[in-house]
Amino acid sequence: MNIRASLSRKKLIGLTAVLIAGSMTLAEIPANAADPGVSASEIVLGMQLPETGPASPGYNKVDDAMRAYFDYVNSKGGIGGKKIRLEVKDDTYKAGLTISTASSLINKEKVFAFIGSIGTQTHISVIKDINRRKIPDVFVNSGFSDFYNPATYPTTFAALGTYVTEAKIMGKYLKEKYADKKIGILYQSDDFGRNSLEGFAKAGLTFEAKKTSADFIAGTQGSVGLASQLTQLKANGVEIVIIAAVSSATAVALLTASALGYKPDKWAVISVGSDATTFQTIAGSKGIPASMSAAMLTGLISASHAPAPGDSADEYVTAFKKINDDFNKGADKRWDNNVMQGMNIGYMATGALKGTLNPKSTFSAKNNKTCQANAKKNILTRVCFIDYIESNGSNIESAAFTALQYSATTHEAFSGFWIGAYDAATVLQPVSGTRVVYTTDSGNGPVTVSSYKRPAIAADALPKN
Amino acid sequence: MFKRIQTGNLVKTFIFFAVIFYLGKVFDPYNQGQLSVVLMYFIGILSITFLTGLSGQISLGQGALMAVGGYTCALGILNLGLNYWQSIIFSVLASLIAGWILGITAARLSGPYLAGTTLVIALAIPSLANRFESVFGGDVGLNVEFGAPPQWFVNLIGEIGFEQWQLFATLPFASIALFFALNLFKSRTGRSWRAVRDHEIAASLAGINVQRMKIFTFVVASGFAGLAGAMYGLRGIVGPSVYPISLSLTLLTGAVLGGLRSIGGAFIGAVLVVFLPDLIESLSGTWEIAPQIGNYLPAMVSSILLILTVVLNPAGIAGGLHHRKPRHK
Repeated sequence: MNIRASLSRKKLIGLTAVLIAGSMTLAEIPANAADPGVSASEIVLGMQLPETGPASPGYNKVDDAMRAYFDYVNSKGGIGGKKIRLEVKDDTYKAGLTISTASSLINKEKVFAFIGSIGTQTHISVIKDINRRKIPDVFVNSGFSDFYNPATYPTTFAALGTYVTEAKIMGKYLKEKYADKKIGILYQSDDFGRNSLEGFAKAGLTFEAKKTSADFIAGTQGSVGLASQLTQLKANGVEIVIIAAVSSATAVALLTASALGYKPDKWAVISVGSDATTFQTIAGSKGIPASMSAAMLTGLISASHAPAPGDSADEYVTAFKKINDDFNKGADKRWDNNVMQGMNIGYMATGALKGTLNPKSTFSAKNNKTCQANAKKNILTRVCFIDYIESNGSNIESAAFTALQYSATTHEAFSGFWIGAYDAATVLQPVSGTRVVYTTDSGNGPVTVSSYKRPAIAADALPKN
Repeated sequence: MFKRIQTGNLVKTFIFFAVIFYLGKVFDPYNQGQLSVVLMYFIGILSITFLTGLSGQISLGQGALMAVGGYTCALGILNLGLNYWQSIIFSVLASLIAGWILGITAARLSGPYLAGTTLVIALAIPSLANRFESVFGGDVGLNVEFGAPPQWFVNLIGEIGFEQWQLFATLPFASIALFFALNLFKSRTGRSWRAVRDHEIAASLAGINVQRMKIFTFVVASGFAGLAGAMYGLRGIVGPSVYPISLSLTLLTGAVLGGLRSIGGAFIGAVLVVFLPDLIESLSGTWEIAPQIGNYLPAMVSSILLILTVVLNPAGIAGGLHHRKPRHK
């Protein structure tokens, strides 16, 4: 009995040891196991945007450009041997539908992260849920500054400078350049428009309601039109008209002003609404030839955080344009701001994913050991991905002329813009001949000239993270 | 409204509750979420069933009444500190009042004039939200949600996901709405509504106060729409883009496809408008249809089905099934 008891004890000890080892292994799994959307061969990313509907023109090219860049990365072997697959859902810019499309991406497609989602109004409806589930929500195509407070939304990161930042920089330029002119604004009465107004006010540019300031409800530009707003600005003698609206609204505004015989000295348009190709496509659909729509654009002032798509001397433009030519399978792959933005998001995402899987990367003190160990084992987790982006914002490469600002206190993207005007070939050219990048914050900080030097793009157009 | 509650209706409601509850247990999270939207649309479509199917009044603005419910619910939660179910009751009351006001106007109108009026109301919602931005949050809207399930419920049925809780929180309200509708259909009020729909003068000669009955229909229908809108907003946000004009048209499409004059039709219609896009998406994925075509397929298929229904089977799916039933002699 004693022997048997002894053997049993030995067996028991052995079994206990196995169980402890096993449970320790199991306990390690949550830290080291890959999250949903990641396998040995694939990383699934999700995006929602208006592919169809009144808000879709122009923006529905961004996903095709992102997919083209990921296809290019995949053709080079992917990231850590994993191919990137982009799942896209059309929410038609209706928040009620966005909730369902987000649920589909999370529960059906099992995405690892949301990337590059477009639409401030629509993203508001799901941002809380995405963050609650701790899913990375990176490179969001919205300049709405409320999204990028890590205390509120720890997994959400921007892909654009905020509307406040851009309006501050543009406002300073317009105020100084056109001090003797009457400046007015046409804006969409949502967070985009109001954030822009806030930025212009910080630059000392304020407007008088119903006189030098006219607003409209986003989405009604196609049905109701903008004639009453432009008639108001014309009647009040506004000489410089700022537009803070989406591309389709900018097109309606310019075409309506032309029909009304209203010719302000200058138009100045916030960057997300100033894409030349989108404008010319909409003008073309109304029977206006390209030469005439190009003439309407000539002289229009806008801003950009990245090189103009027409800047053929820029190395990022050259590299991205070639990838677009070779890999974009979208219905409309014409090279423009939207395609450039999609390419840049693909480039930044690739850098962030590469960096997360690079054992030499540094993470926050809290996660450094685990994330470096994961990277050595080629394990991608959401926690480490978010940590890498937050801890290495300035190291994530992009085509922009200022570094990403991500940190533990802000998830805003770019702080710098340069001011340009469209030439006769619809290329945005620096207003002063040479490009000067200004930088500021979304608060009350000053507007200063940026000294940032953008890193050169690698020969294979892959980020070096 | 109805003096006698039929046992059969109680049984039907119980079966409905049990089946949906079971589906909520076996479905994956995505389909749990979709099923909760089906229930919300079901209640919304019931409001059209009452208004158009039963009493013959056309409304293209049920989405606006849903918005009334949604905004009231959100304001109740955010400003008055009510919990979601208290706020839902509050929002139904507000919708009843809105329906009464709208009904007074609607009772004087009919046909395209009534449809046009209700359409304008639906279009006005974004303007109101922006005009009173400090109250309604403008285009950004108001963030509200069902929140976390109570601990006693978790203890009862186990760990519960976000979509599952959304479904289980909606189910009691959908069941109450169904029970109410089942009884209303067979009540004196329901018969009066049908009489008004079929021949106003004859109804009047039979002693029915047509004007009052029309207003009453609007009030009841608004209560249902408000209930649906409150729960629809509790999915995450209440804002103008949650209750667009297309929502009203979607509900109407569901009502016509399912069958305008039946409660079963309302449910079938809700299932169709919610799950049809998913079905088309899975089919278009199988057939490798280009996204630029696939994106428009759900709307196109719905439109074709709508046309076919109106031309070939105006009573909708439920109506068609009803006519196929063998008649007992």
